[in-house]
Parts: sequence; structure tokens; C-alpha cells
Amino acid sequence: MDDALPDPPESHDLFLFLASTAHDMKNSISVLSGTLERLLVDASPQTESAYPQMAHMLYQTKRLNDNLMQLLALYKQVGKPEYPFDLQPVPLGQLVDQVVAMGRVLLQSRGIRLELDVDPDLIWHLDEDLVVGVLSHAINNAIHYTGDTVRLAIRELDGWLELRVEDNGPGYPPALLQAGAVATREMAGGVNFLTNSAGLGLYFSGKVAEMHRHRGRGGSLHLENGGAYGGGCFVLRLP
Amino acid sequence: MNLANPTAVAMAADQVDWADKNYLVVDDFVGIRQLLRESLRSLGAKNIDQASSGGEAMGLLSRIRYDVVLCDYNIGEGKNGQQVLEEARVRNLVNPSTVWLMVSAEKSVESVMGAAEHQPDAYLIKPITEGVLLTRLNRVWHKKQVFRAIDQACAEKDYLRAARLCDARIEHDKIHALDLLRMKAKLMEKSGQPAKAREVYEQVLEQREYQWARAGLAKIRMANGEFEQARQMFQSVIAENRYYIDAYDQLAASYQNMGKLDEACAILERAAKLSPNSVPRQRSLGNIALKLGNIAMAEKAFRKCIAIGEYSIMKTPDAYLGLARVCGQKNDTKEALQLLLTAQREFAHEHPDIQLRTKITEGLVYHESGDYRRARKAGDDLEEMLKLTPDRPDTNTCLELATLLFAVGVKDAPVELLCYVIRNNHDNPLLLDEVQGIFDKARMGDEGLALIRSSKKEAADLMNQGVLLWKTGKLAQAVEWMRNARKAVPNNQRILFNAAQIMVSHLQQHGYDDAMYAEACEVLHHVDRLLPGQQRFAQLMEQLAALQPAADASVSAVA
Repeated sequence: MDDALPDPPESHDLFLFLASTAHDMKNSISVLSGTLERLLVDASPQTESAYPQMAHMLYQTKRLNDNLMQLLALYKQVGKPEYPFDLQPVPLGQLVDQVVAMGRVLLQSRGIRLELDVDPDLIWHLDEDLVVGVLSHAINNAIHYTGDTVRLAIRELDGWLELRVEDNGPGYPPALLQAGAVATREMAGGVNFLTNSAGLGLYFSGKVAEMHRHRGRGGSLHLENGGAYGGGCFVLRLP
Repeated sequence: MNLANPTAVAMAADQVDWADKNYLVVDDFVGIRQLLRESLRSLGAKNIDQASSGGEAMGLLSRIRYDVVLCDYNIGEGKNGQQVLEEARVRNLVNPSTVWLMVSAEKSVESVMGAAEHQPDAYLIKPITEGVLLTRLNRVWHKKQVFRAIDQACAEKDYLRAARLCDARIEHDKIHALDLLRMKAKLMEKSGQPAKAREVYEQVLEQREYQWARAGLAKIRMANGEFEQARQMFQSVIAENRYYIDAYDQLAASYQNMGKLDEACAILERAAKLSPNSVPRQRSLGNIALKLGNIAMAEKAFRKCIAIGEYSIMKTPDAYLGLARVCGQKNDTKEALQLLLTAQREFAHEHPDIQLRTKITEGLVYHESGDYRRARKAGDDLEEMLKLTPDRPDTNTCLELATLLFAVGVKDAPVELLCYVIRNNHDNPLLLDEVQGIFDKARMGDEGLALIRSSKKEAADLMNQGVLLWKTGKLAQAVEWMRNARKAVPNNQRILFNAAQIMVSHLQQHGYDDAMYAEACEVLHHVDRLLPGQQRFAQLMEQLAALQPAADASVSAVA
């Protein structure tokens, strides 16, 4: 094919090696976070003196997992035709069930309330694994920076699906708001935003938004301050 | 739980009871097996078996019926997860209601191709959390309920009934509407109504650009002989999603139909790089490379095909025969013969024609390596083998065999074979031309022309006499006549269709009869194996199903 990418002979072997290593790392992280969640469910701050530290370990483990997942997706060229993008009609109730269940133990252990504002019967066409990953990551972040509440709100707005993760913390600092704007802007090969620690997650989420295309419109991501509680808002819009 | 509104997002009213089900967890990593077992236990599950390899999984699957299988794709040496699934389905070790979830470390190419014959019910990416697991289990379960009657009708090959069942649901089942539309399109293709399949695909594309719908339209174009348009459409599907592997196979087929073998070969090579573990794709690549004389590529493809087939129930002798010819062309007749022996040993049970096919390849190997004496000996052996039985292999093997026999100097046997092919395909002009070509090459052009004409007439007379008996109301005699005609000419599709049609008339006019019903079913299934996707097949299957006393009850029960 004339538009085929060059395919150096060693790339396939390297890919297999990376894939099997990634598989191994994912197994380890699965066991780690699974064990932590189980310990936390069985414990309480009253009976377990290390409860806050365990909750923090879970938060860090989830970050590690999100980063690994995002790196893998980027390696598989998320955002380009090379990525095995998988569009399906998904009822939002089912989408949110998965996001909620992924964050449940961490929310509970941090004493944070998750508020939901979703029409569970609304159906949207999206890549479920990617969107669940993006939302779950956004909620993990919000848990770290919020006061005591995180809100997940999804609605249809002028033919778009707007997914908002809001918190009641102090809001994003200006530098991050700018990084968000840069990460989501189309820029060829520039990775200077990655100097920011939040860069990978934002870049990944921006790519996931872009992959969702419909009738010439592509999805988008932006950060803002305000929303229902005047804190940070992570806003994903899908066509 | 600190949720404001925990019930708002819960599943719909009909919750599934996951506690009483039988589970099998397959993963080579003990930590993951334990983690999944814990997750399943928190759903209430009690009966959970574990396997650490494909072989162990097969052992358990052959003894116990599971309701849910959670199987990792990469499970070390031996079979992979897909091969375990294929073998379990082919050997009927799982029920149609069994939920099969395939687990992998990352989004796999296979999960979006959507065209493989044996698909799991869902793909899960690690790490698997309880929420994701429960949501996907419930989703698959509900989908299976929706599709149960449709799948049943499909299994009975009553495609038109299945399509009506789809129609009845599409309107008010928003969650499954897209799956139902996709199924309906497939059913319309299977029942020889591409125009209706096209309507469905266009309906889907009005909503969203789904690549399977675009590829579906392209396939219809190709079936219609519009190869260039089909080629462009497949190429645009690939441009949108480079991992939509099915489009590569179809694109290669479009090129092949246009006679552009080089381009077809290049596309298959690219697809085999992206998704190397497909037995049929490596086989196609090997065959086309062999035709092009690209011995190195053919050898690589056939060897890969044999290697991935080692643990797969989907393996066939073709790669062994193809590789034997590659070896012959490299003057390594020793390895060629070794491969043929292996093929005879491995496929003796499932492929009753393997002796004949390996002998044909042996003849070709000797002929192509210039050993004309041994080639002639193989030809004589083949002639003897044909005398032992009235059964003849499939059309392509017959043509290949006749070509070889003429080439090594045998006369009577290939003439008999070609007349047999004509009698069984008397209204297929393309095939008649091909047969004439073989006669021409053997310098028997005029003789061949006369033979083709008389064989055609023989088949047409057989059929017309049966139809005449039917049209003049002599139904019992017509059935008997067509029964004998089928013995004389077992693979003639028009004779088979008319035989089934006459039996349907008999059942309609003289009442239902188990034996004749079964006979008509057998005839129709035989013709569907010869050439799937014919409209007349779907129509006759529907008429036949309507005659069966029990069938009526089941249709009304699910409607």
C-alpha cells in the first residue's frame, strides 16, 4: 500500500517483547491494587492505624496503572488510524457503573463523595475502554485535589456528549489550565507540555477525544475552573 | 457507599443471579487467577475452576459445562486463548448460552476486526476490576437473551425467520438495535438478498460511520462484479482504521478478481504482518505467492501456517500440500514427500480425500521437478485410486487432478473426471470454459467440445424429466426420479434445488412426513455447502421450516 508506514524488521520483535513485558507489569499492578482494595474494604480508620497510608498507596498504584495504560495506548498510536479504535453504542448507565466501581474503594477510603448527574438510558457511540480510562483517571486526579466531593455529570448538548468531572477544591492553577489548552491543541510532535506532571494524562485524554469523529467533527478536551462547586472542571466533549 | 444516587446507574430491573453459575478462569499467572477468583466470589460465585494453560483448560472444558469462561489470550506455550475458544466451540464443549470473555493486556487487533469465525462474547483489558467485570457479564447475558431465538433460527439455517425476529426487535430495543441491524444485514447476505443487506448498511451509515457497514457495502459491490468500486471502498476503510484486518482480505480478493495477483499478494502480506496468527490468511498468502512463483514468500507463509496450526483445531492440509510443492520447485523432493506423509497421518480422520490429494501433490512435485517417470507412476496410481470408488473429490481437486493426469500422459481417467465436473455444473458457463481450456491444453479441443455438449445434455435431461413429472402432478414419481438423478449427479445445484422443491411440494400436498423432511433438509444443507448464500436456499429452508409441526409453535413463542 502506498500510504504504508515503513516497517523496520526489528520493530515486530521489539513490539512482542514490549507487549509481553507490559502484560507482566499489568499483572503485577492488578495484583497490587486488587490486594490493597481488599485490605481497605476489610479495614476502617478506627481499627487500622495505617489506613490513611494504605489509601495513599492505592491512589499511587492507580496513578501508576493509569500512566502505564496511557503509555501503552500512546505506543499503539492512539489518535491515529494505527490504533485499534473500537466504536460501539454504549448506554451511559453502563459506562458510569464501570467508572464508579473503579473509583469506589479509593473514594471511600479518602472519605470523598461522588455525585452523579447522568441519564443512564442515553446511548452514545464511543470507544468504551478508552472513555472509561479517561474518566476514571480524571476522577482519580480530582480525588487528590478536591475538598470532599467529586461530581460526574454527563449530558447531551447541541448534538455533543459533554462529560464533566468537577470538584470542590481550589481549582486548577493557571499553569495547568494552560497546559490543558496546549495538550489539546493540535501540534505536530511538540511534547514540551510533558514537562508538567499532568501532561501525560491530558495528552492521552486529548487524543482519545480527537479519535471520536462524526460528520467532520472531532471530540475535544478542556480544563476550566467553575462548574457546580467552583472548583476544577475536566470537560470532555464527544461528537 | 458515599454515592449520592447509587441506584440511578444500576442495571435494569432484570438482574442476573451470578452466584449459581459455573466459572472457569484461565490464566498462566497464579496471582491473576486468585484476583479473578476473589472478584467472582464477591459476585457470590461459589463454583470456580482454574486452569493455567490451554491444555489444562481443554481438559476441564471437556468434562464440565461452564456458564462463564474468563480466558486470557496469552497463556504461555501451547494453545492461545483464541485457539482454546475455537476448539471448545467446534467440539461443542460450551453451550450457546456460555459467556466467554477474552482477557488481554491491551486493546488487541483481533477485538476490532469483528470478522473472525469464532468471536468471544467480549474482550476485557487488564486490569480487570469488579465493576467492569459485572457490567460486561450483565451486558453479554442480556444480549444472549435477546439473540437466543435468532441464533437458534440461524443454527437451523432458517435465515428468513431469523431476519423477521431481528425486525421485530429493532424498533423498541435501542440498546441492541445496532447489533440487530448488523445481524440482519448478515442474514440478508446469507439468504442471497444483497439489495436488502445494502439497505441495512446504508441505514447504519446514516447514523454513524461504522467500518463494518462500509465494508459490508463494499462486499456487496464485489459480489456484484464491481471490483474497482469495491477496491476503492475497502481502501478507504483501511485508511480510516488500519487494523480493520477483514478489509485487507477483501481488498486482496478484489485485486484477485481483477486479475491483479501481485497487488493481492502485497495486501495479504501486509495483513499477515499486522495479524500474523490467522491460519486462513497465511494459507491464502502461500497459495497466491505459489501461483506468482514467489517461492520464498510461499514457503514462509506455508511454514507459518503450519506452525500456528499446530495447536489449532482450524488447521487444514492445504499448507502441507502447498509447502510440498514449494519444496518440489526447490528440487527438495525428499522434504516434499516427508510433508505429504505427515499430512496423511495428521488428517486421515477429518479429510477422507487426503490420500488422493497427497498423491496429486506428489505427481505435481515430480512433474515440476522434472522427474517425469515418477510423475507418470503417480498418475497411474491415481487412475487406480479413482477406479476403487465412484466418489469424486470437489470440483477444484477434480480439475487439478485432470490437468495433472493429462500432463503425465493418462487419457481416459481425466476425460471421465471432466465429464463428471460438467454433469455436476451444467449451467455454469465460467467452469465450462475452464474445462474446455484443459481439453485444449491436452490437444483434445474438438473432442472436448463434443464431450462437454453431451455431458451438459445428460444433466439437463435428467433434471427436465423430473420437473416434467412434478409439473404433471406425478409427485411421488418425481421425488423418486430426482432421488436417482442425485445418485448419478450428486453435486449439481440445480438438480439439488429442484429435488428439494419437489419434496417440499410433496410434503405440502400429501402431509408431513419425518423421513422426507429429513431428506429435503439434507439435500439443502448439501447444496449450501457447495455454494453458500443462495436466495433459493433461504426460501426453501423457510418453506420447509413452516411445514414442520413443531417449528410453528417455537416461532410464535418467541415472536
